[in-house]
Amino acid sequence: MSNTETYLGDVQDVNGTTVSISLSKESLTGFVYIDGQGYRVGQIGSFIRIPIGFNDLFGIISQVGASAVPEKQVESQRHGNKWMTIQLIGEGPRNGIFQRGLSQYPTIGDEVHLVSEKELKNIYGQPDKPYFVKLGHISNADSIPALVDVNKLVTRHSAVVGTTGSGKSTTVASIMNKLSDPKRYPSSRIIMIDLHGEYGQALQENSNIYKINSDISSKLKEKELLIPFWALNFDELCEISFGEFNNEKDKNVVMERVQNYKLKSLKKNPRKGASADALSVDSPIPFSIHQLWYELFIEVFGTYYKGKDGRPIDNLAYETDSNGKELKGNPMEGIPPIFKNIVTEKGEDKIFYLPGSLSIGKQLLLLGTKLRIPRYNFIFKPNQWMPDTEGDVAQDLDCLLKDWVGSNKPITILDLSGVPADILQTTIGALLRLLYEALFWARQLSQGGRHRPLLVVMEEAHIYLNDNLKGMASKIVQRIVKEGRKYGIGAMIVSQRPSEINPTILSQCGTFFALRLTNASDRSHITSTISDNLDGLTSMLPILRTGEAIILGEAVKLPMRTTIEAPPKNKRPDSQDPIIYDEVPLDDSENPGGWGIKMEVKPNYEELIETWRAQNPKISRIMEDK
Amino acid sequence: MEREPVDSSNIATIGYDVDSETLEIEFIRGGVYQYFDVPAQIYEDLLSADSAGQYLNAHVKGVYRYSKI
Repeated sequence: MSNTETYLGDVQDVNGTTVSISLSKESLTGFVYIDGQGYRVGQIGSFIRIPIGFNDLFGIISQVGASAVPEKQVESQRHGNKWMTIQLIGEGPRNGIFQRGLSQYPTIGDEVHLVSEKELKNIYGQPDKPYFVKLGHISNADSIPALVDVNKLVTRHSAVVGTTGSGKSTTVASIMNKLSDPKRYPSSRIIMIDLHGEYGQALQENSNIYKINSDISSKLKEKELLIPFWALNFDELCEISFGEFNNEKDKNVVMERVQNYKLKSLKKNPRKGASADALSVDSPIPFSIHQLWYELFIEVFGTYYKGKDGRPIDNLAYETDSNGKELKGNPMEGIPPIFKNIVTEKGEDKIFYLPGSLSIGKQLLLLGTKLRIPRYNFIFKPNQWMPDTEGDVAQDLDCLLKDWVGSNKPITILDLSGVPADILQTTIGALLRLLYEALFWARQLSQGGRHRPLLVVMEEAHIYLNDNLKGMASKIVQRIVKEGRKYGIGAMIVSQRPSEINPTILSQCGTFFALRLTNASDRSHITSTISDNLDGLTSMLPILRTGEAIILGEAVKLPMRTTIEAPPKNKRPDSQDPIIYDEVPLDDSENPGGWGIKMEVKPNYEELIETWRAQNPKISRIMEDK
Repeated sequence: MEREPVDSSNIATIGYDVDSETLEIEFIRGGVYQYFDVPAQIYEDLLSADSAGQYLNAHVKGVYRYSKI
């Protein structure tokens, strides 16, 4: 193609995939017109084409000017600034389909051409296949859609990274809107872990929202998020209920008890697939943790009358109230029994501690508190999944999973804003493990992961996938990103602090949506994780505009600088940031606070303390809908 | 609490509980707020105001304490 309009210069130096070219005098005007459209020459990040025979090689401009001169030629170059450095990325037959990777290299003297919009379209533009979604358009080329391959996006995992305010949530909302389009993907399956309740509003049409202490009156039709404790494995259960044990022996005793409880429950209510022989302490079989706690509590804190006949456990010395009633407590409400103090004096009825060697007093007191406090109800008193004393439940796990991954709406938002911080990490880990196990084992079934893959979107991932935490969440997500591909579970990691995310997890992400990233350590982390040699592109990260992303990796043909098409205004996520001064005129704003509105006449700090003591943001003064 | 729809560019519905003097406002954008210890007169004025948003801003916001629901 002897297109002189697009001619930029000639190849002068080839070093691996890095090519130096010298610009021709003609192209130095800086601005050329092709097909009536103006192009600026030598924009970092823009594409060039090197025709070789019937093929074209394509590259990205990564450096322009004096420093792009090959080292040895610095002396001899009088006009040292007419150079560019190119990173080669792929090739394609003339007018054919572009492919990543190179089968040949350019040689000295090959012509280098600018890539016009028409050619770009050839590279990027895919035929209208339903497995490509359009997320926006290529920046600086409005007519070229930015298409992402859904197959690769879901199974090869992805990461969305960007500084706060770079448009991360909007990008995620935009992707979700596209993926949940019922016409295109009538049975897409997406679970979002939403730590701040940002997405409910934005995705309300296509999603079910599960939230702890859900607000039934809310427009969003929230449902109650429940994670039955008995579905957790033993390690997760311990972390959430007992905490650390003092020694291995205590742990083993508790483990054996849990197993026994599960066994008894299973014998009473046989469940398909579970058998007494194959039962393990990790099996998801309902049992009453309340009964277990009560039993252990008596063993550890109980006292008994020494003088009476029979076993010590039959002669417990309960304290009595003023009416003479024994204070036996109530296991289901987490109220512990109260025992008489020990008596060893001569002549009186002797009261001793029950014999036993368990030292789990602290753990039991802790669990007792959790069984009583309402904010742990989502896990310990999960309504219809709450086992009775015999370990029978009104509903089994199938209903739970059906709600989460098999409902009529493609997206399920798990709003974890009400989870206590101390168990957040474990809760997320447990939740993801439940999903993983279920879809993994059901891989042959039509509802399983292989046949209806699940995309798990993890918002604010740096909080629970932190490198420093050897926690449950980090472990299970590592498993998902390593093996999930085979079983139909894809992860989308969203974070503003990629440098804090476990590197194993990040390195397994095949596609990156990199929005503006200003922090140097985050940027270098991303640059080092990205497989391509695209320094030129990643150096653009700090100067991207809001809502602009560089998409690179497996789901796209070529790295592309994309302007993400924001969803309509009412479908944008709520950043939920506190408002300092409202940008909306006060008459039109719903926001009654901030620094711009004067303080109310009678502030009430008693209510403020009430919320803290009750550990519940809702004060009792609020009129509930009946 | 029963809320009545109002004609406003900002507010969707307004409700009031006489016994506890609680004013409840639902905005078109979705937020619901309860204002506490609001006299019944304010509620009536709010309903009959030409612009509920304006009235709210002038006489309720910054005067009565509230909680987001």
